[in-house]
Amino acid sequence: MAEEKTRVDFNAPKSLVERADSVVEVLDISRTRLLIDALEDELEDLANDEEFRRRLSDAYYDDRVDYDTIEAILGREEAMRLKLLRESIDRTPAIPELEGDLPSDDVFYDGEVSEWTDSNSSDTDDESHT
Amino acid sequence: MTMSEHAVAVVDTNVLLNLATPVVDGRPQAPSGSDPLKALLTAYDIHVPASVLGEVTDATGDDDLLAAAADVVLKAAHHVTTHDVDDRTDEPLDYGLDRGESEGIWLANELEADLFITDEFNTTNYLFVTLALADRNTLFTTPHILCTLATHEILPEGYVDAVLTYYVEIKGWDAQYVTQLRQHHLE
Repeated sequence: MAEEKTRVDFNAPKSLVERADSVVEVLDISRTRLLIDALEDELEDLANDEEFRRRLSDAYYDDRVDYDTIEAILGREEAMRLKLLRESIDRTPAIPELEGDLPSDDVFYDGEVSEWTDSNSSDTDDESHT
Repeated sequence: MTMSEHAVAVVDTNVLLNLATPVVDGRPQAPSGSDPLKALLTAYDIHVPASVLGEVTDATGDDDLLAAAADVVLKAAHHVTTHDVDDRTDEPLDYGLDRGESEGIWLANELEADLFITDEFNTTNYLFVTLALADRNTLFTTPHILCTLATHEILPEGYVDAVLTYYVEIKGWDAQYVTQLRQHHLE
């Protein structure tokens, strides 16, 4: 991959750099290689991290990051999903119409609606509390 | 009241089941006092392919919340117009969508429906639904329509606010998306 490179200088804690250099020696790779691998791993982890994705989509909804950025991080399909959802937010659907009140259950469902309660698992909960 | 006064909406199986869920959920975390399934089926002219009611029927039988929701949808099924779409031709691709979804999209295109409502917004299926619909501006989700029902005072705003929180918690709906809908439509 003949991608253009850019030079990055940064300060890091001395002990961390020493640890990295030890690893580099064992693996017989360059310090640069280790840093690039580490950065790629971290970016991939973040792209799959729910909290990060939440913050990224917040930033996209608030216009703090653009489409190209989310596409680069999340991939095209997920970025497209977010874009389409964002475009749909202020869309106004055909107007719902209701004459008077909603019908009663008896009329609408032709009888009563019975409620579901989680009887089985609440029994289990009782047992686990004792 | 004639049905022709109402906007035509084609809905997916998950919409009916999701709307019925808080209606039958007797647990404390479920909001009560309103019925979003009844509101949708009364305020819009709802159409589905037969396969959607088939999928609802498939969900019945167990002793769980989904089965209870499916039972209630079937009790309300006479408010829904069902279409046999077995004879559809010229359908190029179903992408990764299930039968109810892809037939629903086909039906929405055929009827030139005002709305196609689905809850496939958490996955990339949302892309395929968008691509397959003739008019993507007719695509809406259950949380969006719930906000609309509140705006038009068919459901109380407090109930819609509570039920959106309920769906985010029990169905894992995209919380950022639901927050955006709240900010744009409820406040």
